[in-house]
Amino acid sequence: MVDLGDQETAERVGRSRALTLTLLGGLFLMQQLSNFVSEARHPERPVDYVRAVVWLVTSVVMVVIVATNFWFGRPEVGPLINDEVTRAHRAEALRFGFLATMIACFCLYPVTLFEPLSGRHAIHLVMSVGIAAALVRFGLLERRALADE
Amino acid sequence: MSDALANRLRELRLERDLTQAALAELVGVSRKTINTVENGVFVPSTTLALKLARALGCRVEDIFTLEQE
Repeated sequence: MVDLGDQETAERVGRSRALTLTLLGGLFLMQQLSNFVSEARHPERPVDYVRAVVWLVTSVVMVVIVATNFWFGRPEVGPLINDEVTRAHRAEALRFGFLATMIACFCLYPVTLFEPLSGRHAIHLVMSVGIAAALVRFGLLERRALADE
Repeated sequence: MSDALANRLRELRLERDLTQAALAELVGVSRKTINTVENGVFVPSTTLALKLARALGCRVEDIFTLEQE
């Protein structure tokens, strides 16, 4: 049996996580697409290397958030915010992210026949789409599950 | 022909005057899990189904039934 205080904490953390990840996923994708367009117009500026490092670090953090059950808070709350439903949502979000990645590849491939694209740019685009899709899907599933009875 | 899982979780919970949070506390899961099972959005594992039945003092078959579509 768990404490009702733990239940409330799990509910609060779950709600903020669901909202944050949904918004973060959308913002992440928009920002990366804007960076991508900007890099294509003005290639090889020093600021782009900084952006690339920030993107890489952000991507790693987001993959960890969506794919793992990490929790630094009270140990009693951890199993509640990563319970059976959340694990199912993670699996579904990863499936959705994988599909989005594949679709991005299918779309990108014919484009590269007419417009040369560097490996770095292609990876940037495909990874950003996959990560953002998984994050938004996870956030939306969690929000639906957390709806009031 | 496929089978759909129907459940009487909300009905049984309300008969016992339990909120979703109170039942979640008894079972050791989050309220979100109880909510998704009640709404038929999530099909629980056997372990969770057995825990729900134990918390409500009934059999798993009293909570979950197969409906032919």
